[in-house]
Parts: sequence; structure tokens; C-alpha cells
Amino acid sequence: MLPGSREKVPRILILATEACAYPGADHVGQIHAEYPTNAYIVRVPAPVIFPESFYLRCFEKGIAGILVMSCGHECPYPGAYDALAARIGRVHQRMIERKLDTSRLRLCAICTVCSKAFLKEVQQMHEKLLQVDAEPQHAP
Amino acid sequence: MIGQSSASANSGEKKQAPRIGVYICRCGGNISDVVDIERVVQAASQIADVAVARQAPAMCSQAGQDLVTEDLRNQTVDRVVIAACTPSLHEHTFREAIARAGRNRYLYEHVNIREQASWCSKSDPQGATEKAIRLVAAGVAKARFAEPLSPIAVNARRHVTVVGGGISGLRAACDLARAGLPVAILEKSPFLGGRLVQWDRVYPTEQAASDLLRELLNEVAEQPGITVYTRAEIVEARGCVGDFQLTVKRQPRGVDDTLSPEELGAAIDACLVRVPSEHDFGLSQRKAIYRPCRDSYPNAAAIDWEHCTRCGDCLKAAGGKGICLDDSPELISILTGAIVLATGYDLYQPKPGEFGFIDYPQVITLAQLERLLDPDGPTGGSLARGGRPIQNVCLIHCVGSRQIEGLHEPGLDGKIHEYCSRVCCTATLRAAAEVRRGLPATNVFELYQDIRTYGRNHEQYYEDAMRAGVIFLCYAADQPPLVLKNPASGGAPLSVVVKDRLTFGEELEIPADLVVLATGMVPRNLDPIIDRLKLSRSAEGFLQEVHPKLRPVELAVSGVFVAGTSQAPMDLAESCSSGSAAAVKAAALLSRGHIELDPFRARVDRDRCRGEGKCVEACEHQKAITFVETASHGETSRCAQVNSALCNGCGICVAACPHQAIDIAGWQLAQFDAIVDALVADYS
Amino acid sequence: MMNSVATEVDALVIGGGIAGLQAAIDLANQGFEVLIVEKEPSIGGKMIGLSKVFPTLDCCSCICTPRMAEAEHHPRISIITYTDVRRVDRENGSLLATLIRKPRYVDADRCTGCRLCEYACNMLVPHEFEGGLGARKAIYVPFANAVPQLAVLDLDSCMLCGNCQRACPTGAIDFLQEPRELVVRAATVIIATGYEMIPAGFKTEFGGGELKNVLTALQVERLLAPHGPYGRVLRPSDGKEPESIAFVQCAGSRDRSAGVPYCSRVCCMYAIKQAMLLSGALPLADLTIYYMDIRAFGKGFEQFYQNAKAMGIEFVKAKVARITEDQDQNPVLRVEIVEEDGRVEERTHDMAVLSLGLLPAWNPAEAGLAAPAADGFVCSIQPHLAPSRTPDEGVFVAGAAAGPKDIPDSVVEAGAAAMEATAYLRGHGRSGKSADPDDSIEDEQDTLATGDVSA
Repeated sequence: MLPGSREKVPRILILATEACAYPGADHVGQIHAEYPTNAYIVRVPAPVIFPESFYLRCFEKGIAGILVMSCGHECPYPGAYDALAARIGRVHQRMIERKLDTSRLRLCAICTVCSKAFLKEVQQMHEKLLQVDAEPQHAP
Repeated sequence: MIGQSSASANSGEKKQAPRIGVYICRCGGNISDVVDIERVVQAASQIADVAVARQAPAMCSQAGQDLVTEDLRNQTVDRVVIAACTPSLHEHTFREAIARAGRNRYLYEHVNIREQASWCSKSDPQGATEKAIRLVAAGVAKARFAEPLSPIAVNARRHVTVVGGGISGLRAACDLARAGLPVAILEKSPFLGGRLVQWDRVYPTEQAASDLLRELLNEVAEQPGITVYTRAEIVEARGCVGDFQLTVKRQPRGVDDTLSPEELGAAIDACLVRVPSEHDFGLSQRKAIYRPCRDSYPNAAAIDWEHCTRCGDCLKAAGGKGICLDDSPELISILTGAIVLATGYDLYQPKPGEFGFIDYPQVITLAQLERLLDPDGPTGGSLARGGRPIQNVCLIHCVGSRQIEGLHEPGLDGKIHEYCSRVCCTATLRAAAEVRRGLPATNVFELYQDIRTYGRNHEQYYEDAMRAGVIFLCYAADQPPLVLKNPASGGAPLSVVVKDRLTFGEELEIPADLVVLATGMVPRNLDPIIDRLKLSRSAEGFLQEVHPKLRPVELAVSGVFVAGTSQAPMDLAESCSSGSAAAVKAAALLSRGHIELDPFRARVDRDRCRGEGKCVEACEHQKAITFVETASHGETSRCAQVNSALCNGCGICVAACPHQAIDIAGWQLAQFDAIVDALVADYS
Repeated sequence: MMNSVATEVDALVIGGGIAGLQAAIDLANQGFEVLIVEKEPSIGGKMIGLSKVFPTLDCCSCICTPRMAEAEHHPRISIITYTDVRRVDRENGSLLATLIRKPRYVDADRCTGCRLCEYACNMLVPHEFEGGLGARKAIYVPFANAVPQLAVLDLDSCMLCGNCQRACPTGAIDFLQEPRELVVRAATVIIATGYEMIPAGFKTEFGGGELKNVLTALQVERLLAPHGPYGRVLRPSDGKEPESIAFVQCAGSRDRSAGVPYCSRVCCMYAIKQAMLLSGALPLADLTIYYMDIRAFGKGFEQFYQNAKAMGIEFVKAKVARITEDQDQNPVLRVEIVEEDGRVEERTHDMAVLSLGLLPAWNPAEAGLAAPAADGFVCSIQPHLAPSRTPDEGVFVAGAAAGPKDIPDSVVEAGAAAMEATAYLRGHGRSGKSADPDDSIEDEQDTLATGDVSA
């Protein structure tokens, strides 16, 4: 715990594509719009790189929610978006097996100036997590 | 290979613990007004392997950059984490600074604490500070795994193959040669020039098409680096960008250039075969030994092997020389670095009965009209059909274009052509003006939906036509004109019935001596080449570019470019621009003799790979991964291998591998795991 | 004014819009040294201000910013913004361009784009980038994704209060800057100066630009941009959500009397696109496009048009003769319906959009280059075979500088102009640095595997 840190808030991991969602997140900052500070953005060329186990490991480690922000069908890598969408579906299956609420993992498309959509996704995830479970499943 | 991303190289740097330098930017106050910089620096200095943690008012300033280069030069640190604004602004700046200090530019991690921390958390400085600390820790965690990388160089042959000897192919070939690249032109027919030679004059300059072709051929002839193969088709294609291996089947012309014009004339006269002339769109006939027109290039004739009876009459007439009736093709191998596809278009062929086509000889296509208008054409420039002087000409726009599913019947190709063919409106107006130039008393009717004279100096044709008394009748897509036999005897042979939107939707009947169908452009059947090069097609069947705005002349297969009307309908100028644009892309690609790729590509850990092939399956789009057999100690084993020239670094293979045997350089899965560990850890 | 020492480049590209950027990148990728000179404070041209683009409806920023970044970071491209080209002279076979760098009143070497000056400034002025609908400060970074990220001070709006100077952490504000003359020697020049829209006030019959709810197409682009001036679609007079919007096609195009005789080529498609986007933003709004001919000629355009019709956007073949407004500032259009009976009607809408045509943005003759063609755009001497060749040897043209053009056609033409410039450079003994095969590995070709086979 950081010294002086307040009550524990659920941590959101945002996997944001280098081409679209990451600059989209920058745009939110550029217009000085605010969203909860517990949302951590990680830059990724294409989230299709992550195997199913990666997501499950994240939850085990204490990440409460994951937003995969892709470029959608404008993805610069042929076939990657469809493969990603299929994979997220499989992770949802495995989450059900593990009794994890599937709303903790969400795939969405965010473009370079989609600031409204970005804020909506983060806010919704934040509220959902507070609602579903204030504490992560396996808090460290 | 010149360079290679190396996972195991430079182990010297790995032996000792990394010494990471962390630099936090205040950005004037943009960051420090919200984020408590002191606390971030303090927290960063506590993280394992962090040698120094410093701050600066502006890291991007010279003073800020000097902090980093100084620490690198005196070996205080061996890798760098900079927390500042978004990487899109200054990642490049800092990579350059690190390179200036003599270190590898990839031993660096950029952390975004402005756009993604201070600016989006103004009302929560404490939260922003904690976020910044975790983001810095995540950056350090990723940097710990960072390894020196260098661009990958792939060998590239300085040679381009242009498929198609029409106007865009010739333009591309000529430009590539001017850029210093050797070029092979593969033309399917025996003659260069494509469809341009079939037009009489072209809008908007009214220049003769044959003059323009000659001008371009002269430009081509000035270039020594161009090899032309007529009657040549690709039958096999292997390899990838920078190194394609093409097998080309080439049929002989049957006629060489040793015959004098008289001997050739005698040979052609002697031939008894009659074939409808493609050049004249069937309005005339040609022999099996032929030249399409006076201006054909090359000037030598050719034998149409499909229709030639091998009777030998031509050979006899030519004095027993200069002609060889053996049509055995030869196979040529061409090694080339890039391919430009300039395979052109076909014209929409109306079905029998469509607007009276075939049923009435007075119904012709716009292309046929162009041949009739050509003084060198089959009628010497006369429009007369069956002796009657032409009084009324009806031109019907959008035949085979702008079709609507459910409203129009599929054409002979079984398809509905929804698109606009772009060139027909102006071409039709131009032809109408030409008709009136020759026969000023002719009444011209244009039956159209929208007049699309969009191009530079095109609108003038529309204005001129209106001023000259051309009658415009606007029909709705669902009420196309009808072409009927004129029941009144002695008058015009045909009658065109149209409901005109411009005059209260009134139904008008126009007696017509000639009906011209402005047919559009349709895609050619390119199945063989599409299959061989694994290309994709648009819904209409034209070649599909990667992106209409970012990469309009590139196809999905790296190193293959598109020029001209094989991509979409376009006019002469647009085809030439497209040919030049394709040429400049190929020239840039091959300018250095090797192609430099950024190092973020997949690589296989041979010790872990068990040859199961999940990655090969996953990489279905790029097809960058194959198997290699390796023999060691008498046993052969199978292992995946990545072709960096094809790999785009998407990482689809990484997730597929059950043994963690494949990774993307610079974006290792282990780095992401370390980032997550750092984000969930506590910092006290 | 002071003369600076001449810099020397292979190619000078005039204009940093999409065509100029693409031409510069295509040349630099062959090893040529390129300088882009841009008259505005940021590169990106008109394209960076657009919302979404036809016919794919992809986000314009997403496809424009990568090109801006590529040019900015390219080792062989230099960019000089806020600079005009005064003259282009010929000297010993090369071209000598005299540039006038306008004062930014901000030291580019010191400014970090932090915007503290912008926050400190108290002056609000209509923002050009937002078509005048939003406001900016007197000192400002031109827009969110501007390249370079440097502030610029608009001295005409400045009160000289000194707030910005006090706020600037790097001491970059310099009220004493003056225009600087720079001389650049280039072997070849590419004109990519683009277009300007016909001014909204061009036609008194359309209200002369005074009617509040009659917008220009570029203003509507900003209304529709995700980060536009209002953040949503509102009509300017009273902030009401418009329920009925009219598009007036050929506003200034194909009109010899008030505007230009030529077709501006992009207006049909941008109007259809805007109507589609508006129907997404305002699902209940009635959208009417008054047109003479719909010119949906490009790849995928006709299908786009048909989709718009299927969505319920109304296309009326009609001439708009006059626009006035009623007491509620609703635009009233006097329309001659061409279809049916040719009747003349007055139709009231909540908002009207003028689909304004395109004018040339620069006259090369003013810089001593060849005079433009009759349409005012740069003259092409071989309009069929090499449309980018101009009457001036070694000077080529790309994009809308050679006539109205959409983005795909501009990008293709930029490539063609770069190709012509390449040939010209090579013909004059220049080959790009490391562009020649001196570092090629051709000799080893047969012994090398294709690609980097890593294991």
C-alpha cells in the first residue's frame, strides 16, 4: 500500500492498441477529460498476442477488470481482430468455469479520437467492478 | 542478411544486473502540478535494478536529454526509462538521444504520465501520483527484459516486373526505369498499348489517342533498362517481397521483323481465316495473321494461334521466310524484387436484347462508336448503318453501371455492377460532340441519370453540349429507357421510349437511327494471377488495395502493387498517375538493394519448439511461418521458422504456441507479465 | 529582416497537407533530402480537420496522423511551418526558394508544447480550426494533434498583458520576433498547396455568409468531429438540436455567375457523408440534399450513395435560388424543383449546409513560377500522360493544387509527383543518399536466403 493511500479500489488493466486505442487514450488526456486513476493503460501492437492464460493470470494476480481496446475491424493486422474476438470468447468460457464474472473482461473498439467511447468504457467497467465485487478475487 | 534481431547476442549485458536509469519529466507544470514528482522519484529509486532516478523540468529539452546521455556515457546506467508525455511525441526523440550516446535505441522504455496520468486526473492528485508510480514501475519491469535490437535487413533484388503493357503499365515501367531500376513488362497480347489504341480522341484535350501512345512509347524506348515480353503470362510465382521467382510462359509471335511491308502484306492477304477484330469490337474482321491497327507496337504482325489452321499459305506468300508456324511456348524464369499489376479492364458486354443490343444492328456500344468515328477505323469515320443517313442519335448512359440488386438482371458474368464507371459520362459527351462535328445536322439525345463530368475540364463538355442543343433526358434508375423497333415505316428504324424526369415525368418517344450504349468498365478475369500471388479482390471483382487513402496502390501481399483500371475504373490521366504512384512505391522499396524492417518480428526459441505447428496454423494471413527439418545426432526434428519479410509482428503466433517457444522481439509476453506484476504490487 | 544561409535539399515540397506529406515521404524513402514548407502553424492541411471520410467512414484523424508522424520523424524530411514561399528563382540549374518565416512569437527551440501559456491567456477569439464555431486563446497550440506541438501567438488578438510570458516555464515567449527570410536551394519543387473553400459569403442570394444557421461544409465537419467545438451537433443561433437539415449542392461550383464553372468533385460525396453522420447523431432529423447531379464516381461511392438513399436521406433534384431566414432564424430556401413539375417552393429547415466548392489556395505566378491554368489551378503540361508536370522545368504538382480532388486521388497523385521528381533528380545526377546500391548486397544475392529466417 502506498503511504497515505486511500481505500483500495479495483484495478483496471487496459490493453490498448498502438495504432488506435492508445492514441485514443492520449486524446482523452489532451482534452483534459477525467477517468478513475485505477485504470492503467498498457500499449500493445495487437492484443491478439495474449493467450487465454494471460488474462486468467492477470485476474489471479489481482487485476479486477480488463478492457481490451482494439482497433476493431480497422486493425492493421489482417485476421488479428477476428482471432482476438474468438479468443476473448474462449476466455469468457474459462472465466465462467472459474466462477469469475465475465463482465470483468471486455473487448471494445476505440479509435484515435474516440474520447467519449473511451470514457464510457472505463467508467462502466469501474462501476461494474465496484458493484460486482469491491475486492479482487485473489488479492495479493 | 545484414542485421538480425538477436535474442541471445550481447550476453555481456545480461551477465550483470541491469542498471536502469529512471527520468521523470515535470513538463513545465503539466505533470508536476498534479503528480507529486518527488514521490515518484523517491518510489522509483526504491525499485530493484534502478541505478538512478532523476527529474527534469522538461526531459525533451536539451538539458533533459543531456541527463540521459551523460548517465549512459559514464555507464551509470545501461538502460533507460523516461516518464513524460505520450510516446507518440518524444519516444523517437529519446531513442535518437540514446543512439547519440552510443547505446542501442531499444534499451529504452517510455512511460506516459502526462496524457494518461496528470491530464486525465486533475481532480485527484494523489490518485494520479500513485498511478504514475505504478506506471513507472511497470516501465522499469519491461525495461529489465529489454534487449538490444537492430533493424532486420532483407535482401531485395533491384528489378521490377510490370504485368500489363497498357497505358498504366507502360507509365509504371517507364518511371521505374527512370528511377534506375531494370524492368520486365509482361504483356498477354502480342501488342503493347492496351485499350488506348482503340479510342479515337480523348477528353479533355481532344488529343489523338494514337499520338499519346506514341509519345509514351517514345519515353519507354529511351529507357535501356526495359525488357518487353509480349504474349507472356505468369504461370508460377514463388518467393516474397524483394525476391519473387516468376515462371513466365511465352508464346512465339510466329512472325519476325525481317519481312518487308510488301511481304507481310502478301502474307496477310493470303490468309483465308476470318476472325472478328477485337480492336474494332467486332465491327470488322481480321485474319489469323494480323496487326490490330496501323500504329501497333511492336510493328511486326503476329499469328493468332487459336484460329490459325497452319495451312502455310502466309508462309508461301511471304516467300517462305519470316514466318514460323511452330507455336510451342517457352518458359522463362524472372527473378524480381517487386511486381506491379496493371492488367486493365474489360468493357461491359450488354446481353442480347438489353436495350435492343444484337437484336437491332443500329444499337452499338460507345466503344464501337469510337471505332466508327476513327478516320482510320472500319468505316473510315462514317457512322452510316445500312445506307440511311443518320438524323437522330440516342446515347444511353449507365449501361451495365449503377445497377441495383433486385431491379437489374445480372449480366453475362452473372454479376450486378453497382458501381459507377466514372469515365463514361465525359466520354459519351465527347463522342456526342464529335458526332455533331462530323454531322452538324444530327440531333443528339443523351439519356442519363446523373451527368458525372467530375474531372478537370470535363464540365466544359456538358456546358458545350447544352449550348449546342444536345437534348438531355433524365431517366430514373427503376425506369430505364426502352429501345424498340419503330413501327412507322420509312422513318428511323428504332424508337426509344423514355420517361423524362425533367419534364413532368412525361413519356417521350424518340425516333433513332443510332442508339449508343455507354457501357462501363468491368473487372477482368484475373483468377490465375490472383491465386498465384494470393491477392484479394473487392466486392466488385477489382483488385483490392490495402487502404484507399493510406496505401492506395499497395496490395495485401507485400511487394505487389496495383496500377490503373485493374483496381477500379479510371481515365487515362488517372491511370497514368496510378502507374507512377505504383512505380514510386516499388522504387522506394528497392532503392537500397535491401529492405529494412523494424525489429519487432516473431522469433522461435528452437529449444522449446516441438514442431507442433500451432503457430503455422495461426499465421494463416501472413504465411510467415514454415517448418524446417533439422538433423542432429542422426535424428531429424521439425522446427518452426519465421520469414521476417512476411512477418508483421502481430503476435497471433505467440498466443497459439502451447510451449512459449515463439515471441515478438521488443514485445515479449514475459514483459507483459512483468508489467502486470508491477501494476498490482505495493510501493511503500 | 535578415538573410539566413542557404540550406540545400533535393526536393522542396510546398504544402504540408496530405498530398505534400505523401510526396515528401515517397521521395525521402528513396534517400532524397526533402524540406516541407507549410504556411500554417501545423502540418496536416485540410484533412486533419475532417471528421470521418467517405466512403469508408473511417476516422480521419486515424489515417492522417500516421502520415504526419511519419513525415515528422523521417530522418530525411525537415519541416518548416508557419512559413510562406515568396519567390522561386532559377539559378545554375537549380531552384532557389525564398521563404518568409512568420513570427510565432514563441521560440521553437524552447517551447515544449506544454500549453501553460494557453491556459494563462485571457483572450478568447474564434478558432479557425473549428470553422470559427469554437474559441481559442490568443496564444495556443493549433489543435490537439498538431505537428509540431508548438504554441503560436496571434499578435492581432493579443493584449500584450504578458501572462503567457510569466507562465512559460522555458522562457520561450518572444514578443520581439520578426519575419525571417530563408533561402533554400532545391533541385526540384513539388507544389502541393491544396485548396481553400469558396468563402461562405460569396453569394448574396445565399445570405452572404450572414445567416447564422447556414453553415459551411467545413463547419459541419467540425460539428461532427468527435472532439468538435460543441461536442455534439447543435445549430449555432440558439443551441437547438436541428430537426431538419438541408444541403445545398453546387454552392459556388458549376456556376459561372457567382462562383466557378468547374465541378468541385468532392462536394456530393462529403454532403452524403455528412448527411449520414448527422442521421447517426440526430436519428430523428430530416435530411434533404438539393442537387443537380449526384457525382458518386469513385471506388465504392455509388454504393455509398445508394446506402444513403436507403437510410432515408432525401435527394431532391432541384436548384436553390435563394436563402433567407424567418423570424426564428430558420433558413428558408427558395427551391426550384427540377423534377416533377418544375415548381418553385419556399422550404424552411432548421439548418442549411452550403456544399461549397474548392478554390486554389496558392497562385504560383506570385512566386515567379508559371501562371496557373484558366481554372486558377496549377497548369499541367501533359494532362494525360504525366499530369504532375508543370510548365516550369523541375517543378511538379500534386493533389488539389492541380484541381479539386478527394483524398485517395490526391494521395495517388502525390506518389506520381514524387515519381516525376525522382526521375528529374536522377536525370540531373542526383541519387538519394544510400539510395544507390552502394550498400546493396546484390553480389551475395544467390547465397542469401530470402528474408530473415530466425530460429
